[in-house]
Amino acid sequence: MSKSSIPIGLLFSQSGPYQMMGGEMLKSARMAIDEVNADNQFDFELVPHLRDPAGVVSAYHTACEHLIREVGVDHIVGCYTSASRKQVLPIIERTDRLLWHPARYEGFECSDNIIYVGAAPNHAVVPLIRYMLDHLARDVFCVGSNYVWTWETNRVTRELVSAVGGSILAERLIDLGELNVEHIVEEIVSRRPPVVLNTLVGESSYIFMRALHAATLKARFTTTVLSCSLCEPELKIIGGNAAAGCITSSAYFESIDLLENRAFVSRWKDRHGIDSSPSVDGQSTYVSIMLLARAIKRAGSTSVNDVLSAAANHCYQSPQGPIWVDPDNNHCFLTPRLARSTKNEQFDIFWEAEAPQKPDPYLSGLDAAPLVRPHSTSTSPLPQQQRLRLLN
Amino acid sequence: MTQQSPLSVRGRIALTIMHDERELGIIRRQLNRLGVQIVPWGDGPPTTEADVVLLDADLFPIEQVPALPIDPTTPIIALVGIETPSRLKWLLDLKPASFLIKPIRSAGLYSALVMAFGIAQQRTEAIERIKHLEFRVKSRRLVIAAILYLMEHRKLTEAAAFALIRRTAMQRRTTIEELSAEIVASGGQVPLAIHPS
Repeated sequence: MSKSSIPIGLLFSQSGPYQMMGGEMLKSARMAIDEVNADNQFDFELVPHLRDPAGVVSAYHTACEHLIREVGVDHIVGCYTSASRKQVLPIIERTDRLLWHPARYEGFECSDNIIYVGAAPNHAVVPLIRYMLDHLARDVFCVGSNYVWTWETNRVTRELVSAVGGSILAERLIDLGELNVEHIVEEIVSRRPPVVLNTLVGESSYIFMRALHAATLKARFTTTVLSCSLCEPELKIIGGNAAAGCITSSAYFESIDLLENRAFVSRWKDRHGIDSSPSVDGQSTYVSIMLLARAIKRAGSTSVNDVLSAAANHCYQSPQGPIWVDPDNNHCFLTPRLARSTKNEQFDIFWEAEAPQKPDPYLSGLDAAPLVRPHSTSTSPLPQQQRLRLLN
Repeated sequence: MTQQSPLSVRGRIALTIMHDERELGIIRRQLNRLGVQIVPWGDGPPTTEADVVLLDADLFPIEQVPALPIDPTTPIIALVGIETPSRLKWLLDLKPASFLIKPIRSAGLYSALVMAFGIAQQRTEAIERIKHLEFRVKSRRLVIAAILYLMEHRKLTEAAAFALIRRTAMQRRTTIEELSAEIVASGGQVPLAIHPS
């Protein structure tokens, strides 16, 4: 039986400031497409059309327009930053196409023409800061790249921290791609905050992590770094010792002990080498394409309305566990997790939600009030239902 | 009473004065995501409980400003379709706090709500401030009368008389205007602060 061909657009930057992520996402997209095409449960074949905007924001619109008007795709998987997504959103909506967006983002958007597969803010930053307040400290030093993800992450952090009488000790922002981090590291060493929230991206983050590690060793003090974005390939770039001990919030880690994930990691390593690791955004790209293929199959069509209805509430057992699209807001139900990075460039997962959590892109369900408690050294400072269930 | 931040929209009540079912559907979905409750127009008695009104600006004839079942301080978000000057002039009389351009989509509503709550808060503060300033302007004559009285009866300079009134008002935790009214009304029979000679 010959399979029909369905063109899909892939929009991943292969150069520029986040090329590493773009590369990881493309590798995962190709792997998912190959698996769909080889699988007889699908009576169609996905034909990828890659466009590489090279990290230039304005190039995303042109690339997207070309995919829609020239190639004629109904579905596009891609974008990484919010700036790139906002570039393509008008043309996607105007032409009624569907963008499958794999990366986590800061929330406060809800287009009927986008499926948000990555973590919403209630999945990412909220559990991380709750853990910090519950187990680490009330005061935090924030360092980040100067863009919307950092601003919004820090705003949520401030809201939660001030609800319990804590404070943001400092908010140090540097330009995307900036490599001069020494002054921030010096300030951290001199002020000795208990916790550092790192929302730097790419090379800025890698250099910062190495410099902070060296400086704290020399000054003989320890602080805990928090992140909502670090992934295994980045731990390898930073280097095991400097990257170790970072508390990271994510829906995906290579170390997730699920049958689907062990098989996924094994197939990944077969393709990319035993020393390589899938990343959170890569895995999410893989999941995006699997959700898309399953929805097309169920809908029997590629039309946006049919695919949207077919995707809604349809659970897929993915490497990161059960995941499905919430038709209320086009974001995904997924399982938040917290892990500690280890010296061998992996993550040791120590907490996960008991079940996939409903996405809340506007944080309308976020209530800081239950966090408020009298200052004490009590070991159970949060009401039971608000406390994080620890795995070990 | 602590004021709710304009950024926090959860738990607020929106009155929708709209007819278009498709647009109402989009608005309902988005308000639901934001945790905003919806009161449709025309259901039961007029409501004054709304925190914000979403008003389809194309819904009414322009001869008159409609009597809306809301408190005049409740902010209005206008949903604008026809952008003719005649329609916009009509809309200005309703003093909308923010607006959305039709066709309505989910994007934009949160911004419009935040702007509306922010503007409403600023307007309330401005009205309070104006009331306060108007009171002070009106009371000016009394303050001048009290100063003149003290200048004459206590042989003080204008500056010293005013300083005495201010010091006494502070000690008695009252305003300069109220104390001045008392001085004038009682013919100076008000114990004043001891002033340095």
